[in-house]
Amino acid sequence: MQSGKSRYVGLLYVAPALAFVLVFTLYPLAQMAWMSLHNWSLIADKKFIGFGNFVRAWNDPQFWTSLGFTLKYTLLITPILMIAGYLIALLTAENRPLRQFTRSVVFAPVVIGLGASSLLWYWLFSYDFGLINRALIDLGVIARPVVWFGADADISMWAVIASIVWKVVGFGTILFVAAIHAIPQDIGEAAMVDGASYWQRVRMIVLPLTARTILLVTLVSVIGSLLAFDQFYIMTAGQPRNLTATSVFLIYLNSFPYLKLGYGAALSLILAGIILVCTVLQMLLSRRSHA
Amino acid sequence: MSLRLWKAALAGLLAAVALPALAEDLQMWERSGGNAGMVDALVAAWNEKNPDRKINLTYIPHTDMVPKIAQAIASGEVPDLMGMDLIYGPQFEAAGQLVDITDKVKDWPELKTAVQGHMAVSTYEGRIYGVPLYADVSALFYNKDLFRKAGLDPEKPPTNLAEIREYADKITALGGDVKGYFLAGSCAGCNIFTVAPLMWAAGATVEPEAANGEPLDGDGVKEVLQWARDMVKAGNVHEDARAETGETFHLRFGSGKIGMMGTGNFNITLAKEQNPSMDFGIALLPGVTSGQVSSFAGGDIVTIPKGSKRVDDAVDFMKFLLSDETQVEVYAKMLNMTTRGDMTENKYFAAEPKVQQVAKAIAVAKTPYTLKFFELINSPQGPWLQMLQRAYYEDTDLDTIIADAKAQMKAIAAE
Repeated sequence: MQSGKSRYVGLLYVAPALAFVLVFTLYPLAQMAWMSLHNWSLIADKKFIGFGNFVRAWNDPQFWTSLGFTLKYTLLITPILMIAGYLIALLTAENRPLRQFTRSVVFAPVVIGLGASSLLWYWLFSYDFGLINRALIDLGVIARPVVWFGADADISMWAVIASIVWKVVGFGTILFVAAIHAIPQDIGEAAMVDGASYWQRVRMIVLPLTARTILLVTLVSVIGSLLAFDQFYIMTAGQPRNLTATSVFLIYLNSFPYLKLGYGAALSLILAGIILVCTVLQMLLSRRSHA
Repeated sequence: MSLRLWKAALAGLLAAVALPALAEDLQMWERSGGNAGMVDALVAAWNEKNPDRKINLTYIPHTDMVPKIAQAIASGEVPDLMGMDLIYGPQFEAAGQLVDITDKVKDWPELKTAVQGHMAVSTYEGRIYGVPLYADVSALFYNKDLFRKAGLDPEKPPTNLAEIREYADKITALGGDVKGYFLAGSCAGCNIFTVAPLMWAAGATVEPEAANGEPLDGDGVKEVLQWARDMVKAGNVHEDARAETGETFHLRFGSGKIGMMGTGNFNITLAKEQNPSMDFGIALLPGVTSGQVSSFAGGDIVTIPKGSKRVDDAVDFMKFLLSDETQVEVYAKMLNMTTRGDMTENKYFAAEPKVQQVAKAIAVAKTPYTLKFFELINSPQGPWLQMLQRAYYEDTDLDTIIADAKAQMKAIAAE
């Protein structure tokens, strides 16, 4: 049994980390919860309204539109990022110069800021000046330029997905490559001796042994997609008719331009809850599949 | 004493001399994304005349302005002057965050001719809280070259919506990539600037002026929406206009591919730079029948946040802005709108007839007065843009569309 003194010493060691979490995570979270119970404007006196902001969210059609769109975007982009990232990782896992170079090229967009890359793609998709329309017309895929943003919510979303896949697929690829490299070589060699084909080895050895990394990348991708903001703020501005306004976009609008900090805080808490549920579900499902 | 010590002593002495001077500067905040060139020139002109009470100008990112001011007020560290997008005026005035300057300025003769829209949003419950900093007004720009090609008289711009439609049909018929008119499909601000005046001219209201006020009131709303829907369906508007979020709005007219377009005074210089050989004219934005005209007066106002310790100096700066000399030698010289309607006839505007023409809009310009302008009108998620998008691109009955927007606006205003 530990003496009282050694317990305090242990507490002392973790005190800086505890203080950090307390000041930068728990206190802001508590403050946000407190704000969500108020009609809180930045320039006027706050007023306690209980759960009024949560009731309001329930009755706000735009809240459901934004949430539905965010979930749809997440469900569509996550498998693309996972499968593309994994396939590229399989293709470039071996440490040969050309494959290493390919990995670097795929990873390069990850280091660009999301705002900058969104602006870049906004212009690539431009109706008049964009390279995408020009290339598709020259290749005979389309006869007339396409209005990528603002006319059709699905077209807008796919255009954003294309830009985000380009931007972040390299992140998953690098993690997958690292996980594949961590598999002891003799396992693969033994399977080869037993006559396993390449795809059999991928299915029976590589995939199971990289499962934890797959879970990590899925979690990062799902959380990142549920929190999508910059790309839609810059590329679609929520158009057409607010159909591409994500949940975070709605939080931003209410908190700052509309000055409704309380409602913004309530929306943030709801979104945080949804993310927490998604994360726990994913982890549970993953554990069950490996049990 | 070593050289290093001498240097340190000298630096200390200089700092002691410089600090009080810095402390006497007036601090002014202005939002970024506005007419920075104009504000820089105004402050420079003031500083030249007032070396003992210079203004130190700081630009605050547009989106950070409100939180930044709120923090400043909470901490007591407010600037002495604050330039803000005029649409936020009523909100800050109602929240009691600005200094009431009524007693100091009410007798100024200059106020009688100051831009009405700016003064309206600078006034709350009969008290004055600010004056115009700079103004942008909307008007109808038309391409005379395309008018000639379409067989239209370039000296006779349209005077009502039916004529705009008629002229637009003829210009669109020229073919190629030329279209008769322009309507921004995804930009709430562009539309309040250029489409709302068509409604106002027709006698309609757009925004509710009070919590229980009636928004979108009058036949003009439906008439303008029907006209706009017909224009889009007739192919008089470029297809990509639907995606216009305001990002390239100011560059559209200068492309030379648009026959007519509602835009602002800022487009005069811009269109000339973009397309020097293009011949264009400017008229007032008309209503349903000839003789009805209107315009939107946008821009910034300058106010004094509560807690400022230099109220008298700040008021002097306001007086300076409205003075005859500043109006002519700073505003007009830079070919910007004067903020007083009686100063539009000056040597600089006389030398540039287009500016003179657009300046006529000041006399008929209006600025929406509401405590929730962004939420009601300017937001991409707001009911104003939703209504326009449904009217432009869908076939839903216009009465239904207007009724939906009305209900949303009333709910927002009543909060």
